[in-house]
Amino acid sequence: MHRAVTGAATLVPCVGIALSVVTAQAGVDLLVVSMVALVAVGAGWVVTIRLPSSAVGPALAWCSSAIVLISINDVLAASAYTSNPLPLASAARHFWVGAWPVNLAGLLILLLVFPDGMRSGRIWVAIPWVYAAGTTLMIVAMWDAQQTGGTVEGTSATWRTALSLVGILVVSACFIAAAVSMVKRYRAGDDRSRLQIRWLLAAGLVVMVLLAGGWAAEGLGASINAAYTPFLVAIVVLVPAAVWLAMVRHDLFDIDRLLSDGTALLVTLVASAAIFGGVVAVVSRSVGLASGWGAATAGFVTALVLLPLHRSVARVVGRLVDRDRFVAVAAVEGFASDVHAGRRQAEEIEAVLQEAQRDPDLRVALVRGNGWTDLAGQSVVEPAGFTVKTGGDTIARISLGWDSVRARRRLAELAKAAWVPLEVSRLRLVLKQALEDAEASRTRLVDAAATERKRLERELHDGAQQRIIATGMRLRSLQRGLSSTASAEVDTAIAELESTVAELRRLAHGVRPSRLDDGLRPALEGLLAASPIPVHLQVDCLPETDDTRTLTAFLVVSEAVTNALKHSRADHIAVRVGVQGDRLTVEVSDNGVGGIPASGLTAIRDRVASVGGGLRVHSPSGCGTTVSAVV
Amino acid sequence: MRIVVAEDSVLFREGLVRLLEERDHKVMAAVGDAEQLMNAVMDHHPDVAVVDVRMPPGHDSAGAKMARRIREEWPEVGVLLLSQHIELRDCVDLIGTPGFGYLLKDRVLHLDDFNDALIRVAAGGVALDPEVIQALVRGRRTPDALRALSERERQVLALVAQGHSNSVVARKLGLSDRTVEAHLRSILTKLGLDDDGTTNRRVRAVVAYLESEAPPDS
Repeated sequence: MHRAVTGAATLVPCVGIALSVVTAQAGVDLLVVSMVALVAVGAGWVVTIRLPSSAVGPALAWCSSAIVLISINDVLAASAYTSNPLPLASAARHFWVGAWPVNLAGLLILLLVFPDGMRSGRIWVAIPWVYAAGTTLMIVAMWDAQQTGGTVEGTSATWRTALSLVGILVVSACFIAAAVSMVKRYRAGDDRSRLQIRWLLAAGLVVMVLLAGGWAAEGLGASINAAYTPFLVAIVVLVPAAVWLAMVRHDLFDIDRLLSDGTALLVTLVASAAIFGGVVAVVSRSVGLASGWGAATAGFVTALVLLPLHRSVARVVGRLVDRDRFVAVAAVEGFASDVHAGRRQAEEIEAVLQEAQRDPDLRVALVRGNGWTDLAGQSVVEPAGFTVKTGGDTIARISLGWDSVRARRRLAELAKAAWVPLEVSRLRLVLKQALEDAEASRTRLVDAAATERKRLERELHDGAQQRIIATGMRLRSLQRGLSSTASAEVDTAIAELESTVAELRRLAHGVRPSRLDDGLRPALEGLLAASPIPVHLQVDCLPETDDTRTLTAFLVVSEAVTNALKHSRADHIAVRVGVQGDRLTVEVSDNGVGGIPASGLTAIRDRVASVGGGLRVHSPSGCGTTVSAVV
Repeated sequence: MRIVVAEDSVLFREGLVRLLEERDHKVMAAVGDAEQLMNAVMDHHPDVAVVDVRMPPGHDSAGAKMARRIREEWPEVGVLLLSQHIELRDCVDLIGTPGFGYLLKDRVLHLDDFNDALIRVAAGGVALDPEVIQALVRGRRTPDALRALSERERQVLALVAQGHSNSVVARKLGLSDRTVEAHLRSILTKLGLDDDGTTNRRVRAVVAYLESEAPPDS
């Protein structure tokens, strides 16, 4: 059905060409119009074939064919009044003046069905019939009227005037209704249909501008042909081209951008011209200076306001015409500045981009070392997608769930606004990783050191000490048969060995107090017994903890007490060891002079940090010192 | 005396066996781990078992655990634990009970003292290293029960707690036997222990001493 209609539309320019070739009366105008129309019909065919179920193709083809049809009718009708009338000339004569609304019939249908078919509802379906009725009224009103030169003859009767007035009203009402239909369609439409309508809108805008330009040119004295040719070419070429693009390749170019920037430029130009003219008028009139001054002042003022004007116009137009992009980019930019101000976390960028791009499957991957990671720090395989770079270095890649040329274009703009949060997230991940590595390495070192201490202590006890005592026992055995002098020598040697053993025992204790094997409390009791000032020790019921942790708690107490004894001039120390979850809390407080810097006790601070704990030193000057640690 | 020796270091074990045999003790078995120790004690029922605290398997305080089992299963077998350092985790409740001793290894070099300790433990007495006593009382304030004692009386009680006889205590403190006896009577009275004329009373005094000293939750 659609193909048949498009086929019929194809026949019309062919007839037009044939007519202008065969007969001399047709003239060059018909040939040109028919040739151009063929191009538009070609666009109609492409749409008809690509989208067979859509009425847009046939409507597009008829947009120009209708004009050719009227042109043919004009040629035929004109020939009726010559000595050599063409065939059908007498019939064509009746419609000569009144059939002009047929010119716009194709456009009307196109407006009603573009881009996805006729809107449902009785009103919309009725419009073509009402238009046909209006056209009929016009034909009846202008029945047999005749064009000679630029004037119309034979229309003086009052009924004809009244009827043609009604006809014009009906035709205009139909176009207004079609425009309303288009607006409604745009409002209710999805992304795709809005985009398609924007293409048509862009072409329409150009046509309007060219029409306005035509008026201006005519006003300035250009010939009618020169003034309106661009407009006619635009309506015959540009509108079909825009429709074709919208239907077949709607995301070939960034129509949003085109439309927005074009409109902004146009508005800026018009405003600049107005400013220029206004300033010239005001300066010349009020100051009465030579006109050269007026023009110079106007040029100066215009140049001054041009850039800011264009910027603000672009912003306003962008917000109106290309609202989606404007909102999306503004959302990402707003987020970036929130991140900058510390109001939001850079890692939310993925969610922000998903919302701005309206793509819940959008994913952000960051470069880390030689691999890729998601925002949570989990390694991922190298993703495909849009690459974000700073200074030539790739920092991130964004993959789309819903991929299209337009989506990529939009994403490129969003990514431009999003690079700071992306880079911040990436750097934070890198930093976190480095910190974790350092922490893990420190923990490993401390664990290794604790193991090593334990091993060394065992070695001393079970190796060296044992052998020395065994040697002593041998000496004792040998001693039996010796003289009293020699025996006394052996006694001395054995005493020497004994003090060596005692020395080793002390050494081993320093490496790792072996009483830690009996638990933290006995070890601490042993430690604090040596204190010259009273120490109050309170140890809660402790759970089994690993060796490193116990040793750390012990060393914290040891270091803090040593520190207190050395520097605090306290006369009392209290040590408390408690439990908090699966961790030990250690608190050593004295009633001394205080004043230890909060960053003091570096050695044990590092040690405590290595088991994932924390150390706090509270030491106001003159009010004693409290060292508390969680290990 | 019939003795079983359990010690994993061959050097130390051989030396100890030799010293014991030179003192005319009969070493029924000299073994290197906890399991063999239990078998040897079961087979020989010695008067006393000399046991290293750290022994295979595991080189933890397996010896101390075995000491407890031996004391439970064969109460007539005395146990003398030897250790490189004071390590009381698995035997703190045995300390002060009859037939149990705990000495540092280097005490072995003082043959007479060591021999005395062996004999005491075999006879159901106690033998504790001064370091053990120190470890137990260290860092604690003097409990109420012992507050009534004078400094000298506490010294005497500490030595008695190690398992020494009156004469040894007298010699170590440079006192006469009579003075020590007087101190001891005074201690027993102050601790409220009746004079029933048996050595059991000494043990009870020591137990009172240690119980008041040992941490309640250790």
